[in-house]
Amino acid sequence: MTDFLRLIQNENMKIYRRVRTWVMLAVTLLIPLAIAIGALALDNRPSMWTYAQIDIYATSWLISTFAVVIAADIVAGEFSSGTIKLLLIRPWTRSKILLSKYIALLLFVLLFLAAFFLFSLLVNGLLLGFDDGSNILPADSKWRSAFAYVASYYGFRLIEIIVTVTLAFMISTVFRSSSLAIGLSILMLLGGSILSALLSLINKPWVDYILFMNFGLAAYLDGGTPITGRPLGFSLAVLGGYYAIFIALSWYVFHRRDVAA
Amino acid sequence: MLELRKGGAEPVVRLLNVTKRIGRRTIIDDLTFDVPQGEVFGFLGPNGSGKTTTIRMMVGLMRLTSGEILIKGRNIRSEYEAAIRQVGAIVENPELYRYLTGYQNLLHYARMIPGISRERIDEVIELVGLSARIHDKVKTYSLGMRQRLGVAQAILHRPALLILDEPTNGLDPAGIRELRDYLRHLAEKEGTTVFVSSHLLSEMELMCDRVAIIQSGKLIDVRLIRGGAESGHRAEVLFEVDRPDAASAALGAAVLRTESGGVVVSAGREEAADMNARLVAAGVRVYGIRTVTKSLEDQFLEVTGGGRID
Repeated sequence: MTDFLRLIQNENMKIYRRVRTWVMLAVTLLIPLAIAIGALALDNRPSMWTYAQIDIYATSWLISTFAVVIAADIVAGEFSSGTIKLLLIRPWTRSKILLSKYIALLLFVLLFLAAFFLFSLLVNGLLLGFDDGSNILPADSKWRSAFAYVASYYGFRLIEIIVTVTLAFMISTVFRSSSLAIGLSILMLLGGSILSALLSLINKPWVDYILFMNFGLAAYLDGGTPITGRPLGFSLAVLGGYYAIFIALSWYVFHRRDVAA
Repeated sequence: MLELRKGGAEPVVRLLNVTKRIGRRTIIDDLTFDVPQGEVFGFLGPNGSGKTTTIRMMVGLMRLTSGEILIKGRNIRSEYEAAIRQVGAIVENPELYRYLTGYQNLLHYARMIPGISRERIDEVIELVGLSARIHDKVKTYSLGMRQRLGVAQAILHRPALLILDEPTNGLDPAGIRELRDYLRHLAEKEGTTVFVSSHLLSEMELMCDRVAIIQSGKLIDVRLIRGGAESGHRAEVLFEVDRPDAASAALGAAVLRTESGGVVVSAGREEAADMNARLVAAGVRVYGIRTVTKSLEDQFLEVTGGGRID
């Protein structure tokens, strides 16, 4: 087990020893700072919690994009640089090597989101003043605290980001092309919301089973639903189904593939 | 073809009827040979003959269509982790993580095999002569330095078998020389078996104990290179003389051909000495005697029918 942790340690080294990772983090953290500074110019100082919500709402696409870049590169990058050969000829099965990569990717996503969350609260608290945030909760709210409310928002975004990076990871593994993985995943992220608006006009039940139709889970927080109008369980089941397919395909292909050229 | 070395030591690698088909094309066709313990074993063939494919199958990067590969008796298919633990390799170019330092690269591979200490890493760095630059990023390395780092990652865990695919590619003559000496050192002093592929015939001749020749995915021949000129063995011997015709007359039937500066005969060690005496007795001036070893290149061209070599 400790031996396997060393594989994850390796993958972490390959993520965090690169300048681009830290550039991504810095760019992402600049956004809450910029928004909070902008808020200082307002006559009525808003609550830090309002801005914490705005931050993640405004930045989650960027966080997804950066996570997709890491996911797309983590397998395909080894193929394009040729390092995959020296990586695989070690006393580890391919499944375990792929697992170490996937875990490192999830750790990156968690770390990135957690760092963003904490930074956002800190910056907004320092610039706008710390408060308990009761004002942002709806009057008849079932939420106990603003923290729990915003954290739940992050939780739903996390689920979506994980599904997205797993898609990128799968494309990265199956097609060994990081650009294809980045392209397709971003297309789904950005085009997905437009497409789902169009597709929702089609009054057929199968439309609800399309992956990106079930994004936008945060709507459930305020008693709403994503565009499908289906309950939370439905959305989670569809996302879970896609997730299982992405994972199964990644492992199957990576395990079987001949590493040539 | 299945020759066990004297003493019957188990071969380090056994290929048994190894075949690889991709679609309908047969890339590797029924390869069977053994690599004896402690030798530098050359794997020679023109480009596209299937050397790299064979190596990829030996290290588990490609699947076998049929056949078996055993490394120290462990099947590369069914006991991959146990089999590959015995192996250190560079497959084609030493492609390392360019954005990491040399040291971080070695640390990366060291972490993947239990029991490699920091001291061992330092020892290997010293051995391949990279101490001065080991904490620089690999992207700043020359090809020669990357080769050294490639060798370092391959020997970190003291493998019983070292596999090098075209190791001299891109090395300057001094680098080639150094690598050659080092591989011989590994084989002779540490008992490491070295399996090295190349299309450079002259290189293989200088480096290897034994050479397997492959063409179009088929094994053509396995030849012993060292220890081939033992006593009793007849070789072509060139006598450099002043009058080749007179020399030819004096030596009679043993003469294979007459050249401008001398005669070539087929002779063993003792016979050659006798012939020299006869020539001197016949008043022919002898300036030099040397064996004309048929170079591997000649042999190679012979067995591959002069196929294109590049």
